[in-house]
Amino acid sequence: MADQAQELRARIFLRSCLPLVKVVLEERSAYRKLLYRAGGAVQFAAADSEQGAWVELTPEGLDVKQGKHPSPSITLTFKALRDMNEFFAGGLALPRVSGIAGLPSLLRLLPFLLKLKMLLPDVIPEDPDEKALKVRMLLFMVTNALSQLNKGGDEAMAKYAKTSPDRIFQLTVENGGPAAYLRIKAGRSKAGRGTYTRRRPYVHMIFPDSEGAFDVLTQHFSNVEAVRLGKLRMEGAMEGGKEIGLLMQRIEAITTGAV
Amino acid sequence: MLAAAERKRLQDKARAIREEIVKVTYACGGSHIGGAMSQTDVLVALYYKYMRIDPARPDWEDRDRFVLSKGHGGVGHAVVLADKGYFERKLLDDFNKTGSPFGMHLDRLKVRGVDASTGSLGHGFGISIGMAMGARLTGRQFRVYCVVGDGECHEGSVWESAMAAGHFKPTNLTVFVDRNRFCLDGPTEEVMPLDPLDGKFESFGWRVLSIDGHDFDAICGAIETAHAETARPVVVIANTVKGKGVDFMENQTAWHYGGLDDRMKARALESIARS
Amino acid sequence: MSTATPTAGKPAKKAAKATGLTWTIADADHMTQAEIYGEVLTQAALKDGRVVALTADLAKSTKIGKFEQKVPERFFNFGIAEANMFAVASGMAETGLIPVVSTFAVFASLRAAEFVRTDVCYQKRNVKIIGTHSGTSFGQAGTTHHCTEDIAVMRCLANMTVIAPADARATAKAVEAMLAHDGPVYIRIGRGFEPPCYKDMDFEFTIGKSNLLRDGTDITVIAAGIPVLQAVEAADRVKPDGVSVRVIDMHTIKPIDEEAIVRAVQDTRRLITVEDHTVVGGLGTAVADVIAKSGKGCAFRKLGYQDEYSIVGYPEDLQHRYGIDADGIVSAIGEVLKQDFEQDEDWEDE
Repeated sequence: MADQAQELRARIFLRSCLPLVKVVLEERSAYRKLLYRAGGAVQFAAADSEQGAWVELTPEGLDVKQGKHPSPSITLTFKALRDMNEFFAGGLALPRVSGIAGLPSLLRLLPFLLKLKMLLPDVIPEDPDEKALKVRMLLFMVTNALSQLNKGGDEAMAKYAKTSPDRIFQLTVENGGPAAYLRIKAGRSKAGRGTYTRRRPYVHMIFPDSEGAFDVLTQHFSNVEAVRLGKLRMEGAMEGGKEIGLLMQRIEAITTGAV
Repeated sequence: MLAAAERKRLQDKARAIREEIVKVTYACGGSHIGGAMSQTDVLVALYYKYMRIDPARPDWEDRDRFVLSKGHGGVGHAVVLADKGYFERKLLDDFNKTGSPFGMHLDRLKVRGVDASTGSLGHGFGISIGMAMGARLTGRQFRVYCVVGDGECHEGSVWESAMAAGHFKPTNLTVFVDRNRFCLDGPTEEVMPLDPLDGKFESFGWRVLSIDGHDFDAICGAIETAHAETARPVVVIANTVKGKGVDFMENQTAWHYGGLDDRMKARALESIARS
Repeated sequence: MSTATPTAGKPAKKAAKATGLTWTIADADHMTQAEIYGEVLTQAALKDGRVVALTADLAKSTKIGKFEQKVPERFFNFGIAEANMFAVASGMAETGLIPVVSTFAVFASLRAAEFVRTDVCYQKRNVKIIGTHSGTSFGQAGTTHHCTEDIAVMRCLANMTVIAPADARATAKAVEAMLAHDGPVYIRIGRGFEPPCYKDMDFEFTIGKSNLLRDGTDITVIAAGIPVLQAVEAADRVKPDGVSVRVIDMHTIKPIDEEAIVRAVQDTRRLITVEDHTVVGGLGTAVADVIAKSGKGCAFRKLGYQDEYSIVGYPEDLQHRYGIDADGIVSAIGEVLKQDFEQDEDWEDE
């Protein structure tokens, strides 16, 4: 049985990262051609865990679902969750592959998975459009991952969420950029895309542009520096910003395997 | 050293002021007569020899300011102001009466010539510092004088003021401590000792001059020394006698505040005439 | 702080990167919105040589430090000694200067109360007072640094004008109005990190005249200071449920805008007041005075600290706990109107 740390890590990869293949498709029309006459389901699994997810391919698009597909076209089973996590973290970990018939589906999916590698901390694209794509993916990933921390029972996050009143942590890139939020209330959490409108954010991190957002989200600049340099505006509760900053650091630590 | 005629002028004026204080106290039913008596000589030196003022223009922007931080000495201050011509002497007949502008503690909004409404102790000192600093900031040459009670020096705010003055050095301010060695409940050194008062002020950055508060040569000498001092603010500790001039009041705790009947009034006036 | 340069291909186990969590009081200047008022004050001082600033060792906390940089000859720090500072301000005002005294609200209104009353108000000296960190905006500092009584104290001093601006922009306008006004004025603000209520400087600010932020007919919420934004949020939150809330920014508590209150009583017949302050003697009581005087009946609730001292905590948490944030106001609206509001129960991650 995989340990709690690996379970949490996997949760983040499967629920927060893997679904970002859909964002790649949304933002890069070139990838559409990979789905020409596409079909089938690619299943990711680990021998020592209940967790898993599959990607369903159709000519219309991709869909990511959690759990075990009743009859996937191809299954990638890792020896242990640890190995699957390594794989998603960009490391070298090869799964056992079953269902050769589904190989075309996997081949179609591979470019999308490779594109996800841009999430790795060291990837700093030169091209502004690529940077913007990474920012979009990071925004969605981070908010989703924070919610996964809570739902996955991470002690620090669960404790924070448990006593929290109904609060919104909003991240926004201005001038038509992406936005994402995390809602927490009495132990429950929800990650959402866009702007939450039913209440004012408890903490609002506002990036005037994608460049600044990139620098802050990849933690190349601290929040204080970023504010000073105009890359970031913080509105709302000061201490709340700090709290969420700490948690975002945890996400990075978990995904990179530092923890 | 004062010329003999000058000294006599001031002494006669002081005597006259003390007589008026007795009369007002008699008429109004009671006053802080003890402290009014001890402070009189300092006030006379200031108002009749040194202060640049104009009773016709109490709001003259460049006038010298006077703050009686020991505001309960107001009866003595009021008598001086009346004598200087800020208002008619007969207004003091209603001292303490309902609706009169005159009471135990003078109200600057009601009495011409009063620069600050004091009464609560520990305020006037700070106010006088503000005036002195204000003079500097607005480029004016007027001087500020402040009389603080010795019992008043129990108040913490007095030392906040002393500390601030030690830092901001308003040398256009001269402070006097009316050191009559009594507060309401008894001798200061029994109630809450102040000595060494001179040492305390010195340690706060002041130049301290310790004099006999009833000797006009000493008082005038101290004021002139203060005028010439440019490095530190100056405090003159005027060692005085509470109830000075009235033999049965001198150094008596009880006469911090009191009323007089006909007999005592007569005795008091007679004692002052002799002094 | 350095920026870590990434090395190709290697994940994890780097030296601890800048976390953005370390900041000192010197950094606060960059992060706060209170610097707007410090800027306004400084500009005013540069234009008018009578403006002088005084503080009691709180230049950095009260954001009056900018003044110190630009107009050092008219900036005075009195150290941790508030009483004398107010006396000195009174003396300075006598010479024609306009002293602006800045310290924490609790020290301005309580510790130096007598000096404010006797040296400033009683003598009608043109001294301006800015009490910062009012209410529980200094949550972590605990009760000794909170001030839930200053509106009540300042309100009962004759000749005093009492203002609680809703945010940094309102504070800037309040400071301008304060300098133009002749006589003692007390402005109470938070610690400077409060979210903006007014989106720009295009709004009226007249001492004694409230601002109508939302018009409505079912119920009125009158707030002053930080809770104004919360009241607006509460009003907007219940609007889709068909409740029409009037929100009034009663920034001047003394002299209070009686006309607006009486109109609200007549139009909506239900009033809730909200303040980061005790309900005893502050905005709520001032409004109650007007209601009682008008002789008209209405449902009335005061939100604030219910005659109790506040605990330690982050200010937003405290505002929630004591019911003066948007949640508390929505709840109170519900109680007064006797209805429930729809909750958002969608917890699926996107």
